Amino acid sequence: MLTIKTIDDININERLYQLNLGPQHPSTHGVLHFLLTLDGEVVVKAEMLIGYTHRGHEKMAENRIYEQFYPNTARMDYLSGMIFNTGYCETVEKLCGIEVPKRAQYVRVITSELNRVASHLLGIMDFVMGIGAYTPFLYGWDDREQILDLLETISGSRLTYNYSRFGGVRVDVDQAFCDGARRFVDRLRGRFKLYKDLITDNIIFIKRTIGVGVISKDVALDYGVTGPTLRGSGVKYDVRKNEPYSSYQDFKFEIPTKEEGDCMARYLVRMAEMEQSLNIIEQALDNLPEGPVRADVPRFITPPAGDCYHSFESARGAVGYYIVSDGTRIPYRIKVRAPSFSNLFVMNKILPGHFVADLVAIFGSIDVTVPEIDR
Amino acid sequence: MNTSYGFKEYVKDIFTGSKSLVIGMGVTLKRLFQPIVTVQYPRQKPIMTPHFRGHIEAILFDDNKSHHCVACGLCARTCPSHVIKVQGEKTKAGDKKYGKKYFIDFTKCSLCGLCVDVCPEKTLKFSNEYELAFFSRWDGVMDLMQRLEERK
Amino acid sequence: MNMTQLPIIKDVYGFLGPDLMACVTGLLLILMFVPLNSAFLVWVERKVAGHIQLRPGPMEVGPHGILQSLIDAVKLMCKEMITPDLADKYLFWIAPCTVVIPAIVCFVVIPFSPIMQVRELNVGILLIFAFSSISGLSILMGGWASNNKYSLIGAVRAVAQSIAYEIPLLLSTMSVIIMSNSLKMSEIVAAQSPVWNFVWQPVAAIIFIICTTAETNRAPFDLVEAESELVSGFHTEYTGMRDALFFMAEYTAMFIGSSMAVVLFFGGWYGPFFSGIFWFVLKAYLLVFVTVWIRWTFPRLRFDQLMNFAWKVLIPISLLNLLVTAIVIKVL
Repeated sequence: MLTIKTIDDININERLYQLNLGPQHPSTHGVLHFLLTLDGEVVVKAEMLIGYTHRGHEKMAENRIYEQFYPNTARMDYLSGMIFNTGYCETVEKLCGIEVPKRAQYVRVITSELNRVASHLLGIMDFVMGIGAYTPFLYGWDDREQILDLLETISGSRLTYNYSRFGGVRVDVDQAFCDGARRFVDRLRGRFKLYKDLITDNIIFIKRTIGVGVISKDVALDYGVTGPTLRGSGVKYDVRKNEPYSSYQDFKFEIPTKEEGDCMARYLVRMAEMEQSLNIIEQALDNLPEGPVRADVPRFITPPAGDCYHSFESARGAVGYYIVSDGTRIPYRIKVRAPSFSNLFVMNKILPGHFVADLVAIFGSIDVTVPEIDR
Repeated sequence: MNTSYGFKEYVKDIFTGSKSLVIGMGVTLKRLFQPIVTVQYPRQKPIMTPHFRGHIEAILFDDNKSHHCVACGLCARTCPSHVIKVQGEKTKAGDKKYGKKYFIDFTKCSLCGLCVDVCPEKTLKFSNEYELAFFSRWDGVMDLMQRLEERK
Repeated sequence: MNMTQLPIIKDVYGFLGPDLMACVTGLLLILMFVPLNSAFLVWVERKVAGHIQLRPGPMEVGPHGILQSLIDAVKLMCKEMITPDLADKYLFWIAPCTVVIPAIVCFVVIPFSPIMQVRELNVGILLIFAFSSISGLSILMGGWASNNKYSLIGAVRAVAQSIAYEIPLLLSTMSVIIMSNSLKMSEIVAAQSPVWNFVWQPVAAIIFIICTTAETNRAPFDLVEAESELVSGFHTEYTGMRDALFFMAEYTAMFIGSSMAVVLFFGGWYGPFFSGIFWFVLKAYLLVFVTVWIRWTFPRLRFDQLMNFAWKVLIPISLLNLLVTAIVIKVL
């Protein structure tokens, strides 16, 4: 019977050894460094060392005007750049009291949800690839490619969109985009069976994920976990529903939750969330109002002195932007609350007792983007 | 945690597991004979959408067979990466200014599109070029006005 | 014209004698076949993986990229062979050398057709099992000598895995041996002339294929390499041609495993219309295709699950299968 001793029980030189997993490692997306203390292959203690991609986005914000911070937003979480970009614009609009036209809000919802689906697809498939199946990854990539093509037709870019602007969006959507989005919704709905056959029902996948990396409700709440990871632990919290922003109150959608809190639950929550996102996209396309897509805002914005906190749901959880303005064109301080940070550090709590192979699975199922943590 | 793993579950696992594996293999076998979806890049070139954001480019207007740049410098000021340098010159009559040289350092550009948004004369657009790899750092520095002359 | 009448051949023939002559030519053929076969299999693997993933795979070098792996081999030969500073130099050097030994030796006893067998041994099957276990030793040596924690974990996994999977492998082979009453490869094949053993022993055949997949460290049992966990397992520190030797051994082991399955269960050189080497090679490559296909479909098992699967599923079932076979043979 294998009993895992804690690090204090035995002499470290005697039987435990340390393993540096990362910063250059095939499955630590980006550059995350795990300093693991292992007993055989069982993790006794895990330390996450971050900061390898620190670029100082928050400090950069203090040296440039509000508009110039657009490109930085998408580069924090490069997988849901549209959501981060839109969220930043919403925060500044909230600070200045700008009323965004309804059409622009709907377009933002459509693009954000498409981006969320793209991010979830990548997150899920990367998780599956971490477990060892390479082919589903490329099938997911194929679907994601459709979204990127679609978003490219309106924003002109595939990853760092810079599509939202203060008071609206940069380019109006055309009929071709709407048709393409509808086609994509139908296509992805048809593809869910493929993923079910290839991944969800697969016995190896089930054995690798059920009961692995259980985050209980209390632990999740204690560590400030948000997003699909929190919902996988059975907490029904989604910023889109609990504190609706933009036009999310107009749409009917569910918050999928699972009680188990293991890797499988998080995977299923993401899968269900993609379906909900497709519903939102469809409703928004059906009810897309006519009108302008950009409010009348000055060329360079000058918010009044004061501060503002805005929270929104990215693909990884609740993001918060806190902006302090001193009444000039340059922000005094921008603070970003990145969901990946709290989601990652819950691994500290749950990793001990798991295998190294499980670490990859848990890390994949939590779906962290490291640049977002390091900023 | 999962305590009730008896003989029945064991047998059931073997059968459902084998079935799921066979189904999964069927999925991949079907894909083996489907047409490929990738583009063989250097042999086939993808077509960019009209909104594609390459580097910026001066628009050639029909009315004066040239650009409308007045060298106001808003684009240079709004650029987050300080990529743009504009040099203006007074016209012969001396009443108007126009852009003579317009340098961008594409290697530093983050393609945010603020310069295009901010231009009061709407004389900037994005090019559709995407093959923007250079052998030298200086190849990334381009003069838009010169490129415009070449396009005429 | 009889080849043995040519002067030079005649001299050599007279000098060596027919038996030794066959051995020398056979070994030369094997030495040529092993690298070419693994180059071809690498290409097949990349091509199948590509098309399963809806992309074309290698396309540039030669028609449909068929020369790609040869070019890769040239590249690997040109590369510097780095020995890590803290590695055990001799073991580190020996491991890739020993890993190709079973790859070559096992071919000696495989009967491609009634006449195309380098050496007929009474205990051909035993020889293959004995030598194929050497690869486990070389993996352990390579992983240990690298002095890298990833390599060490990979090597330790390899040893545990090969112990666990050798047992059901032998048990499933035993049921065939009981049926054909011989350890001679050619006799086992000859015993299958009307009906393949697969018809009588489907369970043993499936267990055999699963176990060879695990023995050759192929996905879903590729825990020894496990790219997403252990970077590339035991050969993390190997570069250039040494790495290529490990690769070659892996693909050759795959072919040997498939050949064994063909000999034991799929009727060897027998096929419809005529019998001969064509059917043997075709069946062997089809089985190789199946392993490649499996690799690109399934996720990887975790280490304890791998062990559970061997000890709790494969061994009981193969034991049961052996028991039933023995009883049926005895009763009939």
